[in-house]
Amino acid sequence: MKTKKTPIDPVVIVAIGVVLIALALISLAFQSEAPLAGSVSLASQLTLAFVTGLTTGGLSCLAVQGGLLASSLAQQIEQDYAANLTKGKNVKKRAPARVNSAFPILLFLTSKIIAYTVFGALLGWLGSYFTFSPALRAVLMIAIGVFMLGNGLRMFNVHPIFRYFSIEPPKFITRYIRQTAKGVETFTPLFLGALTVFIPCGVTQAMLATALGTGSPMFGAALMFAFTLGTSPVFFIVAYLTTELGAKLEKTFMRFVAAVVLILGFVTLNSGLALIGSPLAFQNLTRNLFPSRSALTSAPTQVPQTAGIVTLSVLNRGYFPQTLKAPANQALALQLITNETYSCARDFVIPALNFYQLLPATGTVEVNLPPQKAGTKIPFTCSMGMYTGVIVFE
Amino acid sequence: MIKQTFKVPDLTCSNCALKLEALEDTLRGVKQINASYHKLEMTVEYDETQLSAQAIIAAVKHSGYTATLV
Repeated sequence: MKTKKTPIDPVVIVAIGVVLIALALISLAFQSEAPLAGSVSLASQLTLAFVTGLTTGGLSCLAVQGGLLASSLAQQIEQDYAANLTKGKNVKKRAPARVNSAFPILLFLTSKIIAYTVFGALLGWLGSYFTFSPALRAVLMIAIGVFMLGNGLRMFNVHPIFRYFSIEPPKFITRYIRQTAKGVETFTPLFLGALTVFIPCGVTQAMLATALGTGSPMFGAALMFAFTLGTSPVFFIVAYLTTELGAKLEKTFMRFVAAVVLILGFVTLNSGLALIGSPLAFQNLTRNLFPSRSALTSAPTQVPQTAGIVTLSVLNRGYFPQTLKAPANQALALQLITNETYSCARDFVIPALNFYQLLPATGTVEVNLPPQKAGTKIPFTCSMGMYTGVIVFE
Repeated sequence: MIKQTFKVPDLTCSNCALKLEALEDTLRGVKQINASYHKLEMTVEYDETQLSAQAIIAAVKHSGYTATLV
């Protein structure tokens, strides 16, 4: 017996998203500027978490986790596209390809919300016992980047070997899902949605750190639920509009999806490489290839340095100067200055020194740098691998 | 009971393989279907007194794919 799938009307979903945005904007209008970790009420902390998710969190997380969403959608798109082609064989005029993208996006986001809520509860329970080191996150991002590149190449039919990048869930799981759930295509979005918990973006990490500090499983869960719910409308709208736009292209649709997966794969892989300070990361590669250009862009922003102290401004749009010159052969103090910095630049990492710290939104943090030989270059980055720079000793 | 392998060259993703495995629920006489997108094939264990290879191929075609007996 074949059951006809009745996907939720996407218009309803978009409407819900718009309502959520409106609610958040109203909340924002009535919200006084309150510090996240301050002694504000539970309700206002949750509202702030939601609004943070809706604004900076949504876009920031989309940059990191968008690839997983694209990968899960790709499976659904491939299936729908194949089904459309089959139907089209027996009719004179084929209807345009219709992709049920709303359903997998919803599954992905629901799974993500549940995963983060559970993770928030765990963090609240564990206190400061459990954190992801930047190195572990880098390994995960590189692995996911490779997975996405493999999937993109699979969709382009480059070589049969790339078919192994498609997830084949164990048979006992597929049988269980088939017997209990509505369709077999639910597995991939659910699985990949839950996987996002392992690659939190910078803003999410800040929120996870807050959940960690609550010391309460209930509060930790509520905080992460509010935040992840806040990120969902942006995820949904961007993903939905992208797939709908793709559907209009029809003939080149699969190539379009494959190209998106490939691009996001490169971005994720590059972020992972930047996070471990690899010279192969795009930013480090261009900085090494065109040092004069890099010096030009950084020179006007270089802060006059005091003896034994080098200063780095940590801004919402990145680090300045990106190429920080420092004297060689002497111990130094690196001053990291933030001023209402809420982007992931706050999550500061120096991979070579194994240094990692979530900086205060406004303030100064000092890092001791051991003496380095002239010509040594020490890259630094945000925990997402988005903003990078290098300290050059001379 | 016999076990036979079919090539299904037009599988495009793992979900398509799962769709073929769902034929387990609808084809009378089938004990188990294992479909693999990685290998572009499916192995069907079935009761030959109730079902034939041709009927399996027809059911696969109805699902939108092409199967040939190995």
